[in-house]
Amino acid sequence: MVKRVVTGNYAAAFAAMLAKVDVIAAYPITPQTFIVEHLSEFVNDGLLDSAFMRCESEHSAMSACVAASATGVRTYTATASQGLALMHEVLFIAGSAHLPVVMPVVNRTVAGPIGIWAEHNDTMPQRDCGWMQVYVEDNQEVMDMTIQAFKIAEDKRVLLPIMVCLDAFILSHTVEPVDFPEQDKVDKFLPPYRPDHAVLDPKDPMIIGSFSPPEYIQEVRYQTDETMRNALEVVEEVNAEWAKEFGRDYGGLIEEYKTDGADAILITLGTVTSTARDIVDEYRAAGKKVGLVKLRFFRPYPTEAIRKVASKCKAIGVYDRAVSFSAGGPSWIEARNALYGYTIPVINVLAGLGGRDVTEPDIRLMFDKVLEAAEKGEAENEIVWIGTRGVKP
Amino acid sequence: MDRHQGGETIAITIKTLPKEELFTSGHTACGGCGSPIVVRAAMKILGENTVTYFPACCLLVFGGTYPHNAFKVPYLHVLFENSAVCAAGIKHALNKQGKEDVNVVAFAGDGGTGDIGFQALSGAAERNEDILYICYDNEAYMNTGIQRSGSTPFGAWTTTTPAGTKIGGKELFKKDLPKIMMAHNVPYVATASVGHPADMIRKIEKAKNMKGFRYLQIFAPCPTGWRMDTSKTVEVAKKAVNSGMWTLFEMEDGVVTLNVKPKMEPVDDYLKMQGRFRHLTDEQIKIIQGWAYKKNEMDLKFVEAFSEDKKE
Amino acid sequence: MYEVRFHGRGGQGAVMAAQALASAAFQEGNYAVAFPYFGAERRGAPVMAFTRVDKDKIFSKTLIYEPDYIVVLDDKLCGLVDVSDGLKDSGMAIINSAEKPEDIKLGKAVKCATVDATTVALETLGQPITNSAILGAFAKATGLVSIDSVVEGIMDIFGNRIGERLATKNANAAKAAYEVTQVGTCQGGFECEKADKWLPGYDELPLGLATRPMETPEGLVGPGSFVDNKTGSWKTFAPIYDPDKCIMCRMCWFYCPDGAIKEVGEGDAKTLEFHHEYCKGCGICANECPKDAIKMER
Repeated sequence: MVKRVVTGNYAAAFAAMLAKVDVIAAYPITPQTFIVEHLSEFVNDGLLDSAFMRCESEHSAMSACVAASATGVRTYTATASQGLALMHEVLFIAGSAHLPVVMPVVNRTVAGPIGIWAEHNDTMPQRDCGWMQVYVEDNQEVMDMTIQAFKIAEDKRVLLPIMVCLDAFILSHTVEPVDFPEQDKVDKFLPPYRPDHAVLDPKDPMIIGSFSPPEYIQEVRYQTDETMRNALEVVEEVNAEWAKEFGRDYGGLIEEYKTDGADAILITLGTVTSTARDIVDEYRAAGKKVGLVKLRFFRPYPTEAIRKVASKCKAIGVYDRAVSFSAGGPSWIEARNALYGYTIPVINVLAGLGGRDVTEPDIRLMFDKVLEAAEKGEAENEIVWIGTRGVKP
Repeated sequence: MDRHQGGETIAITIKTLPKEELFTSGHTACGGCGSPIVVRAAMKILGENTVTYFPACCLLVFGGTYPHNAFKVPYLHVLFENSAVCAAGIKHALNKQGKEDVNVVAFAGDGGTGDIGFQALSGAAERNEDILYICYDNEAYMNTGIQRSGSTPFGAWTTTTPAGTKIGGKELFKKDLPKIMMAHNVPYVATASVGHPADMIRKIEKAKNMKGFRYLQIFAPCPTGWRMDTSKTVEVAKKAVNSGMWTLFEMEDGVVTLNVKPKMEPVDDYLKMQGRFRHLTDEQIKIIQGWAYKKNEMDLKFVEAFSEDKKE
Repeated sequence: MYEVRFHGRGGQGAVMAAQALASAAFQEGNYAVAFPYFGAERRGAPVMAFTRVDKDKIFSKTLIYEPDYIVVLDDKLCGLVDVSDGLKDSGMAIINSAEKPEDIKLGKAVKCATVDATTVALETLGQPITNSAILGAFAKATGLVSIDSVVEGIMDIFGNRIGERLATKNANAAKAAYEVTQVGTCQGGFECEKADKWLPGYDELPLGLATRPMETPEGLVGPGSFVDNKTGSWKTFAPIYDPDKCIMCRMCWFYCPDGAIKEVGEGDAKTLEFHHEYCKGCGICANECPKDAIKMER
């Protein structure tokens, strides 16, 4: 076992090498650029035997991955922000044609105004493209989930593409110790991709992406929906296998932290989870009954798991690093949908948009708001903007 | 450094073209459509060891509407503007599986090639991706119902350049896409026409047997969009070459060859065959004639500048 | 409310006919909607268009499954498409045909009007485009709209699309057709060779529609399966081949966009075979034949 101090970007790139990807197609964009650079180094140093297409845009990079995946090989790309927005229309093809492309997305604010720091308004709008999304908390999880992503995506019950979402700079450019899985163990965990459902091969001709009348497309939508639901189970299985082989259990779809006996639970995603763990410890030590749920998978959405959490507390707060204007944060909207019929207050806390640092006082305020709602059985404001000048939280 | 390895060429002719149709009958192109002429021939030359790519275009729709398809070979469509890079992605994936001998071809119309698809095309050319790209040029967006493209010639009626009382047809000139592709310094760029089949067959076969990025732009009239009799597709294509409206030339490893010397017949005959030019004023016809002369003059200079004996 | 379904081919203007009928009904104080079956059909392929007319505002946004009237712009479609499918027993079929109503065979015996709209169109427009002439027949046969309103509808819809001069010619085609329309009753019991569509459940459809060649009870699907699609009925003119004049240069074989010409025989006995089940009648073969060995005939 080798432990090295590396960035999230390095972990994302190294994981692709461990997964022995066949075709990489990518385009640089801050703060993802280092992923492309590291992969270039691996290829040019002969460490990674992949075809590496240095494309002229993210649109082309995703197109190349889709076409290569449809030809039957393991594919990988990485992007962020505007790059993901530019890929938008291509993403749907991977989802509907069941092409298990794996893509780390370094979550960065989408213009305007242009910025380069962490916000989830790049990945959240992609929720309906037929891609799975997992949000990670530290660089070890970047590494582990990028490898697991291939296994989940390529499972015959799923066959869907997946984004591994890591916060800009907070992970992408931050170094911390990461345990590097050994190649032979990864090989055993992740066998080569040998698809049957989509392979362009002159010896076995197949049409993929045909112009299709309404008689067929609704069934294709159902196929994507069903396989996305199948992924709920596959995520748990792969997590369990990873835990067994590599000793790290992420909890699968969600991870619960000190939720037993909690009156007020905060659901977070991304790196805010990490800081929130400290605040939970602090509040618990002070006798405040708070708990934390780390929402790992946003697609497939873990409806049942969220319901179980809600049935054991008095109020829930949902943290979002993105907003659907006039309607609240996307993660909150999903949680409220999952909790239809539950009578406990479910409030939304918005912070860290545009990459603004989410501080400990910010997170304390989040917990305070949820505690208050738990005590009163209702919330003064359902949607709370935290740390916004001129706006009372 | 040579950017490709030339393969052995066994000259195919109309008489020796394989009889087997890899692009079958039963497709739903309009009667007299020029692009199936290109595709039928190209598939015969490329053979069954081929993977095909199609953007959103007429050929995508008439070549296959699910669950039916005219192509007997592997077939992929992803989107409209990414044909060249999708073909390249297929090629890399085939190579990774040890299937280096498979031909990968993208067929696309002029709008999908020179307008919306140009970024991906230029990128793939710059990277010298090992693919064959065939643009069937029918000089407008026909799939969406005859809208002007960068390839639509001056004066032509389209639904977005109507023959109005103030403005009569397109006010701008046809984009010189073949020369733009030649400027990418790729192994092979050629123009061809359904009106000159021997030349077209030779170029497709040559392109097939080369490595690296190969680009063919084939003039393929659309009787529906050009508002002309369906039987005149080939005849009008011949007239385009004879009048200098379309030049047949090729660039191989930087050397340019003129394949058919334009007779520079007056453009009137060519224009009069087509309803899309019915509204033209004498003044507009003069402008088109002037454009043809100027284009011919520039093409000849270009061929001279990049001829074999100028190569160091 | 009455509902009309038009059957035509891409390029024949069924949609414009449906719109002109709506406009004509509107001129008479009705509410009317007209819409195409939203497809991507090329020239010659079977298409549908629909018109609904009522005294009050129409809310329905569905296709028409049980029409009161069907209008067929090309009688060859009757063998290809079940044009009378869902037609009400009290309904009527208006068909472009040189035959008498009594000689028309449809799925059911209903009131039927025929008009030789192709000949009318060739005489008035110089082209076999029958979408205006057939509206004259509709006015005559149904009495639901006056021929004057049909003329107004054509001037409105066609005028906006192709200009007043050509619209006037089309209005004249409608008027001429009005005069020569025959009304009677057609024969029923005709079963058209309707191919069932392959419509498996989502779990039997290939994942994401990535499809290999397959033989299904409804025919071939996947790569190469378009051979089952017989496009030969699209044509107005057909090539007549004279093997004695043919020098086997194969130019027609090469140019045929539909691959409808095949080489058969060996050595000196080599000849060409024209596959009319695919030929769309474009005429490129006849135009390009250096020896005049091919003629196009209606």
